[in-house]
Amino acid sequence: MRIYSVAEVTRYLRELLEADSMLADLWISGEVSNLSESAAGHLYFTLKDEASQLRCVLFHRARLALTLESGTAVVAHGRISIYEVSGTLQFYVDLVQPEGVGMLHLEFERLKAKLADEGLFEPARKRPLPPFPERIGVVTSPTGAVFHDIANIVGRRYPLVELVLSPTPVQGDSAAEGIIQALDTLNNIEGIDLVILARGGGSLEELWAFNEEKVARAIYASRVPVISGVGHDTDFTIADFVADVRAPTPSAAAELAVPHRAELEGRIQSHRKALAAALSGDLDRHRQRIDELTRSASMHLRNFMIISREKLGSRETELASLSPLATLGRGYALVQHSATGEVVSRIAQVERGDAIDIKVSDGQFVGRVTGSKKGLQAWMNGFPSKKR
Amino acid sequence: MDERLSFEEALGRLENIVQRLEAGGLTLEEAIALFEEGMGLAKICNERLDAAELKISQLQSALEQKLESEGEALDKS
Repeated sequence: MRIYSVAEVTRYLRELLEADSMLADLWISGEVSNLSESAAGHLYFTLKDEASQLRCVLFHRARLALTLESGTAVVAHGRISIYEVSGTLQFYVDLVQPEGVGMLHLEFERLKAKLADEGLFEPARKRPLPPFPERIGVVTSPTGAVFHDIANIVGRRYPLVELVLSPTPVQGDSAAEGIIQALDTLNNIEGIDLVILARGGGSLEELWAFNEEKVARAIYASRVPVISGVGHDTDFTIADFVADVRAPTPSAAAELAVPHRAELEGRIQSHRKALAAALSGDLDRHRQRIDELTRSASMHLRNFMIISREKLGSRETELASLSPLATLGRGYALVQHSATGEVVSRIAQVERGDAIDIKVSDGQFVGRVTGSKKGLQAWMNGFPSKKR
Repeated sequence: MDERLSFEEALGRLENIVQRLEAGGLTLEEAIALFEEGMGLAKICNERLDAAELKISQLQSALEQKLESEGEALDKS
C-alpha cells in the first residue's frame, strides 16, 4: 500500500476539481456571512444556506465597485478549487450579484464584461464590409420568415449577389453548436465576402444561443466579416457586440449588406453627365483653340496682303518710271522693222526701201527707209532742239 | 470591352475615367476614346443591374451531414 504525503493528496484533489468543467464555471446562490477583508483588499466570506457552507474568496482585482454585507442573499459566479496551503475547499468568486436578478441577465453581464476585457468588442477589430459583395452567407433557420425577408430585401436592392444559406436551428439546445458549425462551413467556402447572422425576435431565453461564449468566439474567429441581426432593435446580444457590424433586425442586416440599386443608378447617371460635360468641355477648349488659330491666321494673311499691296504700289511707280512710254513722252520714238518687229537700234538693221513702224507717245506711224548715214554726228545735226 | 467585368470593376473604371477626363490635359483623340469607353462602362453597369437575378443556394446543415454519413454507414453495414 502506498502512503501519500499531504501535499500529494491536496494537489491531486486540486487537479481533480480543476479538471471538472462544471466546477470551473458555475453560479451559486447563498447568504453571505463571516465577511472579512485582508490588507491586500481581498474579501473572504462564507456562502451558506440551511444545509451547508462554502468558503469563498473574492480577489481584489475582481471586486470592481462591489459592496458586500453579511446577511445579504447573493448569486456568485466563479470556480471551485482547493487552496493547498490550508487544504480548504474554496469558491474563487469573480462576480457577485444580489439575489433576485434573473440568471440569464447575470450570465449576460458577466460574459459581456469578460469578453470586453479580452478585447473581443474592440472597435479597432471591426472589419469594413465589402462595398460590392458577390456571395453572402446567411446563418439562420431554413424555416421561418427571416431568410425569406433577407432574400427579398437583397433581391430588391442589389440582385447581383448569390445568397448562400447555411441552415441551423437558432433556438434550443442544439442552436449554439449549429450556429458555430454553420459559420465554420461558410468560412471554408471560397468566395464568401460576408456573413449575415440572423434570427427573428424572441425572449431572452429564445435568443440565448446568441449570448453563448462559444458562439461569440466563433464570430470573433470568422475569416469573413459578420453582420449580426438578431431580434428586434431593443435586443442586444453578445453576438451583436462581437460582430463587425450590428444591425438592429434581420431586415436591417440585409440592408447593410448590399448597396442600393437606386443609389447606384444615380451614381452611374451622374458619371454619364460628368463624362459628357468633361468631353464637351474638352471639345470647347479645342474649338476655342481652332478659333484662335483661325483668327490669328487671317490676321497674318491680311497683314501680308497690306504689305504686299504697298510693295506692289511702289513697284508700279518704279515700273512706270522705267517704262519706255515716259521716254516716248519726252519726244523719243521707238523704231521697229515692220516685217520682223525687230527693234531697230543700228543702221545696219535696215536697208533703203524697208518699211518701219515708228512708235511715239500717242500712237505709231509707218515710214520707209530712204537713206542712212553712219556716225553719231550725222543724227545730232537733226536733233529737234537744234531745229530753227 | 470586356463583358466579364464585374459590376464593381466596371463602376471603378468608370469613376477613374471620369476623373481623368475632368483632370483634362488630354488630346482630343484620347478624350473621345475615354468618353466612349466610359459611356460603354455606364451601359454595362446599368445592364448588369437590370439583368441580375438574385441567386440562392442552400448548404447542408451539420445535422443533415451527420444523418447522411450515418445513413451511408448503415448502407455499408
